[in-house]
Amino acid sequence: MKNKLLITLLASLVMSANVALAESAKDIIASAETAQKKAASVGGEWRDVGKFIKAAKTALKNGDKKKATKLAKKALQQSKDGYSQAMRQAEVALELPAYMKK
Amino acid sequence: MKVRNHWTKLLLSLTTVTIIVASTQPLLAEDKKELSKAEQGRAIAFDRKKGNCLACHVMGDGEMPGNIAPPLIVMKARYPDKAKLRAQVWDATVKNPNTAMPPFGRHQILSEKEIDAVVEYVYGL
Amino acid sequence: MNKKFKTIVLAITYSLIITSTNLQADVANDIERFQGYLMKKFPDISKQDFADGVYAIDKSSRESWEEIEEFPPYEIQIDDGKVMWDSKFANGKSYADCFKDGPAVAAQYPRWDKEKSMVITLPLAINNCLKANGEKPLKYKKGKINDILSYMTFESRGQTTNVKVPSDDPKALEAYNKGKHFWLARRGQLNLSCAACHAQNAGNKIRSEILSPALGQTTHFPAYRSKWGTVGTLHRRFSGCNKQVRAKPFKAQGEEYRNLEYFLTAMSNGIKLNGPGARK
Repeated sequence: MKNKLLITLLASLVMSANVALAESAKDIIASAETAQKKAASVGGEWRDVGKFIKAAKTALKNGDKKKATKLAKKALQQSKDGYSQAMRQAEVALELPAYMKK
Repeated sequence: MKVRNHWTKLLLSLTTVTIIVASTQPLLAEDKKELSKAEQGRAIAFDRKKGNCLACHVMGDGEMPGNIAPPLIVMKARYPDKAKLRAQVWDATVKNPNTAMPPFGRHQILSEKEIDAVVEYVYGL
Repeated sequence: MNKKFKTIVLAITYSLIITSTNLQADVANDIERFQGYLMKKFPDISKQDFADGVYAIDKSSRESWEEIEEFPPYEIQIDDGKVMWDSKFANGKSYADCFKDGPAVAAQYPRWDKEKSMVITLPLAINNCLKANGEKPLKYKKGKINDILSYMTFESRGQTTNVKVPSDDPKALEAYNKGKHFWLARRGQLNLSCAACHAQNAGNKIRSEILSPALGQTTHFPAYRSKWGTVGTLHRRFSGCNKQVRAKPFKAQGEEYRNLEYFLTAMSNGIKLNGPGARK
């Protein structure tokens, strides 16, 4: 009786953690896609972001939530970096550099 | 009675699996210890998809190096403070906004651990 | 495109226009600085030599390149392109009906089109011709576009690059400035700009490859590249370069690459066309 209760408790803990992970992975993928579009809107999308998001979705479909989260986080961070890179460059890359003198 | 046996069996097998998996960990860690940090760093530095440092730097026994950047020699004399060397690898634009060197840390081209290893290797050149 | 970004670029561009007394002076000034910098970097070669890229500055690779040029790898494309030029569309018309000056018109592009308010490139003009005559447009990086382009480019050899940024339309200067910004901006995970490699480090070696100077880069496209094993367009090369710095490439013949081509070609004003080219 005691064993049965213990294992049921453990199982439900594991299951709820799994569900939480899955939801979190889905959320992060969604955030990554939003960030990807934002970076693309200023011409700052990096090469591999689309690949990571695609792979994250596949991993999630196959039940590998850890991999999905890892890939989605990568895509999200790279999208943020690409966006800030483009915004910064919009301010500083307007005239021929100083080393190009007449 | 039958149900109790099933649950106990499950608990036992879960425990056994855990013990087996845990006991293999020391073996896996030992494989990694075979390569020193500096040797790992050299591999990362020379990997075209990772550091790709040879694209621009003459360094160590690397073949067909580029000449875009200063050769990596007498590094301890040039960077007495190892942390400053690490900072340069992490983001070279801080010291030189016009640099052609990619920001390996800031743009996550290399992980923090990989940068540590590369710095270990480069510092010894 | 993001409204905020567009506003920033527009604001800066328009303030530049307002403060400058002569639109053309900006472009002429850029050309003088751009060409001056690279010609100073390689003082032993003439301005026209830049049309040969790395083969102008590296004696060892020039010899094998000259040998290749004796039996050019792009000859097939030129011949196939001539067949395309001479063939009639389904409606009985042909390319000659669109390009009234004949095939030797490469030096007329890229140019600003005031009505369409955009930069027109030769590949775009070719597809405009096809579409206007009910024909299927060609893809812009690989395939048959390279044949018709090779023929027209070959016929245009010796013509002088002469890109104009007309002062009667501020949008032309805006497109030019967008192209200039693109060329100057760092991009991709590797954080590199076109300028970083092809101006700052022109002539230096990345691994064992010599970085070509930006001056003269537009004179010899489409180009046969050994890496491609065939002839490819300028925008295909732009796309490859962007991928190499780990940036997502832009659409061939999209606004970004047409504006970039506009700026980059203007920077080679005065250099005679020598395409199609053969490169490593």
